[in-house]
Amino acid sequence: MEYISLFVKSIFVDNMIFAYFLGMCSYLAVSKNVKTANGLGIAVVAMLLITLPVNYLLNRYVLTAGAFAWLGEGFADVDLSFLSFIIFIAVIAAFTQVVEMVVEKFLPTLYDSLGIYLPLIAVNCAILGGSLFMQQKDFVNVGESAVYALGSGIGWWLAIVALAAIREKLSYSNVPAGLKGTGIAFITVGLMGIAFMAFMGISF
Amino acid sequence: MNTNSNTYTVIYTTVVCVLVAAILAFVSQSLKPSQEANEKAETISQILTAAQFGEKEDWQSKGNAKTLAFYKENAAEAIIINSKGEKVGELDINSSSIYNVSQLKAENYNIKGAGEPQLPVYIFKNGVSVFPVYGAGLWGPVWGYIALQEDLKTIAGAYFDHASETPGLGGKIKDDPEFRAQFAGKSIDFADEAVFSIVKGGAPEGKVNAIDAITGATMTSNGLDAAINTWISAYKTYINKNQAE
Amino acid sequence: MDSKLKETILNPIFKGNPITVLVLGICSSLAVTVELKGALVMALSVTIVTGLSSFVCSLIRKTIPNRVRIIIQLVVVALMVILVDQFLKSFESTYPLDKQLSVYVGLIITNCIVMGRIEAYALGNKPIPSLLDGLANGVGYGMILIIVAFIRELLGSGTLFGFPVLKAIGYTNNGLVILPPMALIILGCIIWIQRSIQKDLQEK
Repeated sequence: MEYISLFVKSIFVDNMIFAYFLGMCSYLAVSKNVKTANGLGIAVVAMLLITLPVNYLLNRYVLTAGAFAWLGEGFADVDLSFLSFIIFIAVIAAFTQVVEMVVEKFLPTLYDSLGIYLPLIAVNCAILGGSLFMQQKDFVNVGESAVYALGSGIGWWLAIVALAAIREKLSYSNVPAGLKGTGIAFITVGLMGIAFMAFMGISF
Repeated sequence: MNTNSNTYTVIYTTVVCVLVAAILAFVSQSLKPSQEANEKAETISQILTAAQFGEKEDWQSKGNAKTLAFYKENAAEAIIINSKGEKVGELDINSSSIYNVSQLKAENYNIKGAGEPQLPVYIFKNGVSVFPVYGAGLWGPVWGYIALQEDLKTIAGAYFDHASETPGLGGKIKDDPEFRAQFAGKSIDFADEAVFSIVKGGAPEGKVNAIDAITGATMTSNGLDAAINTWISAYKTYINKNQAE
Repeated sequence: MDSKLKETILNPIFKGNPITVLVLGICSSLAVTVELKGALVMALSVTIVTGLSSFVCSLIRKTIPNRVRIIIQLVVVALMVILVDQFLKSFESTYPLDKQLSVYVGLIITNCIVMGRIEAYALGNKPIPSLLDGLANGVGYGMILIIVAFIRELLGSGTLFGFPVLKAIGYTNNGLVILPPMALIILGCIIWIQRSIQKDLQEK
C-alpha cells in the first residue's frame, strides 16, 4: 500500500517537470516529436532506476555521518556527507557510459534510436535531482528508493510525451512570430503544470 | 605525451580524484564549526518560537548571537529524563547545549524500543516547558517542538519543521502560521485514547485536545499526529509527576 | 579592451543569453524564483561556479585524457559546487537561504550552462578569456532569474526583498504567481518580448 501511494505521488503530485522543473533543458530540446520524446523518456526511466538504488546504498553505507561505525570506535565520527554531490554525479556519469556501451553491443536497434540521447542523460538534472531528493527523503529501504525512481521516471516520461504531442499539433497553428518555438513551448508547459496541480489533492 | 594511453588515463583520473577529495576534506573540516553553530542557532530559534518568544523569522534576522543570548537569559534549565520520568542529566544552558535533529532521530528509535531513551526537556523561567517531537511524514522526517504552560497541560505553542514535504501541502506544517496557531490554548489529555489528535476533516467542536488536519496533506498530518503522540507519551510519567506538584 | 574580448563578455548577456536564446540551464533555476533573495543567491552561485570551472578546465584542457573528458569536467564542476554549498552553509546570513534552496544548489552541477560553456568555449581558449566567458554567462543567466523573481515576488507576495511594497496601494496578493508553473509562463513572455525586439532570433 505504501509503495502504491509513493508510486502515484511521485508520478503526479511531485512530478519532476511540473513541480520541480528538473531536466528542463533536454525536455524542451527533445520534445519536438513524439517518437524521439519517447526514446528519451525511456532512457530517463532506465537511468533513474539504475542510479537511484545504487546512490541510495552509497548514501546509506558510505556517506551518512557515522556510516563507518561498524569498522570500530574510531570511525564512528567519520562524516563524508560533503562528498555526496561528487559521488552521485560520478556514479551517474559512470553508469551512463557503461549503459551506453552495453546497449551498443547487445541491443544495436535500441542503440540506434536512443544512441544520441544517452550521453545527454549524464547532465540531465532529473537524474541527479532524483538522487538528491532521495537523500532528503530518508527512504527506509532500497525497494522504496527503486519505486520512487520508477515513479518519477514515468512522471518525466509522461510529461515529455504529452508535450511532444501538443507541440506536433502546435506546428499547424498560427502562433505570433515572437512566440514561435521556445516561447510557446514554455507557456504550454506552464499551462500543463497548472492542470497537473489538480492532482495535488490525491491522497491514499 | 600520449594523453590517450590507458596508464595515463588511470593515473590522471586518480590524481584528480585524490586532489579534489583532499581539497574538499580540508574545506569541510575547517568550516564545520561555523556550520554547526548555525544549525544550533536554528534549533534554538525553533524552540524559542514554540515557547512563544517571538517568531522564527525575527530570530533569524536578529542573528545567532542574540538568539543564543536570549536563550541563556530566559531558560531556567534543560534537563534529560529517562522513561521513568527521572532526571538523569542536564544540558548546559550557558553553552546553549541542545539536542540536534540527528539526536532526536536516534532517540526516536529508542522510544520505539531500540534502547533506553534519554529525552530532553527545555524549561524556561516563565514556567513554560518545551518538548521535542520527531516522526515520519509523507516523504521524510518531520520534527518540532511543543511548548506546555506551567500546569504541563495547556499548550502554549508549537513549531514544526520537515525535510522534504511537498511545498504548499505538507510543507504547511512549517510555513502556515494558521496551522501552528491552532495549538495555542489547546491541551494534552492522557485520559483520552490519543493524547492529542490532528483530525482529518476538522476537529470535533469543543474537543480540547484536537486540531484540524491540513487539507490535501493527510499523510503529513497523520505522521505529525503520530510523532506528537509517541513522544508526548514517552514523557507521560515525567509530565504526570510534575503536574501533580 | 580589444573588441573580441568585449564581444565575449557582452554576447551572453544580451544576444546569446543562455536562458532566453540558447534555452540552457532552466532545470534548476525556476523553482528558486519565488523570492528575490533566493534568486540573487542562486544567480551569484551559478556565476561563481561557471566562471571558476571554466577557468580550471581551461587551465588543464591540454592534459585531460579524451576518454574520461566528461567525467573530469563533472568532477571539477562538482568541486566548485560543493565549495559554494559549504560556504553558503557556514555564513550566518546565507545559512537559511541554503536550506531554502536545498537540492537546487547541488543541481548547479547539471546546469547545462556550466557544462555547455566548458565544452563550447573553455576547452578551446586560454584561461582568462574562459573565466570571463563563464562569468558573463552566469550574469546573463542571473539577470533573467532576477527579472522573473522580481515579477513573481512583486505580484505574488506584494514585497521586494521581503519589504512590503504594494500593500500601501491596497493590492491583493495573487497566489497564482507563486505557483511553480507561472515561472514558465513569465519566462515565455520574456522570450516573446525579446524576440519581438530582436527579430533575427525568431524561429520559423
